[in-house]
Amino acid sequence: MRDESLNRQHSTAKDIDTLARLDQRLIRALEIAPEPQIPADFAARVASLLPARRPVSVTPTHYGYYAMVGSMVILLAALLLLAPHAAGRSIFGLTLQWLLCAQFIGLAVWLSARRHTVL
Amino acid sequence: MDTDLTFEQVVHDHQDMVFRTLLRLTGSREHVDDLAQDVFLRLYRALPNFRGESLITTYLYRIAVNVAQDEWKRRRRDDRPLVSLSDEASSWEDRLQHPSRNAEQQIEEREFQQTVEEQLQRLSQIERTILVLYHQEERTYEQISLTLGLPIGTVRTHLHRGRKKLREALQERQNNERRATCETNR
Repeated sequence: MRDESLNRQHSTAKDIDTLARLDQRLIRALEIAPEPQIPADFAARVASLLPARRPVSVTPTHYGYYAMVGSMVILLAALLLLAPHAAGRSIFGLTLQWLLCAQFIGLAVWLSARRHTVL
Repeated sequence: MDTDLTFEQVVHDHQDMVFRTLLRLTGSREHVDDLAQDVFLRLYRALPNFRGESLITTYLYRIAVNVAQDEWKRRRRDDRPLVSLSDEASSWEDRLQHPSRNAEQQIEEREFQQTVEEQLQRLSQIERTILVLYHQEERTYEQISLTLGLPIGTVRTHLHRGRKKLREALQERQNNERRATCETNR
């Protein structure tokens, strides 16, 4: 009985050792990368196959800028028109004045910042 | 013209990695040039959307995996048998890299390597991909997770499962060989 148990222990230790060795061999085999045979002109061949790209326009457009300036002019006109009528009369008029004013200041800051980055 | 030159440099810098990965993933040298070409053309088409959030290598691995998947699907449709990595023009003698080592040992090692390659091709696509990226390409769990768009835990699970399947297949093969040797000796 004791012999049997000793044998079992011995064979288990042997199994573990065999398994560990197999694991090591497996990992070693997985780590070996195949050696590719790359044609010498491969990169040039790929480059020659590249589709032609639509040329990017280098002339900048200023549609956004003009729209911003236009909006500022409209906002300024609205502010000037509303000021004598709304100021001090109703809370709605006052809120609207402040909102337009804030938009105007926001646009002015944004435009000046953009002008600096463009220049 | 400038872009073409720069791209040619990109191809030159990454061609080894793309060829290696495709070779291991498809298990065949057949059409590997065409597949690698496809990888780089896909990269070129995707470049305008490339925002530099990930490394170009991560992007390339992702494309290579997709191209390999398309190839597996094509093979399954055509029902073509796999051509082993080793059945190339180079002979056994060319592959014996260490002349000082025992030739029998080298042949045994080579056979083991070939068995691993065969068993690797029997794994699921995702297990094979993760094993190749982790062991051969030495990518980290995070990089594999980013490449394949999988959670890190899933990457780990597939890696362990793939290795376990390979180990079991190799063990079974070794046991069969041992049994066959015993029977021959009797």
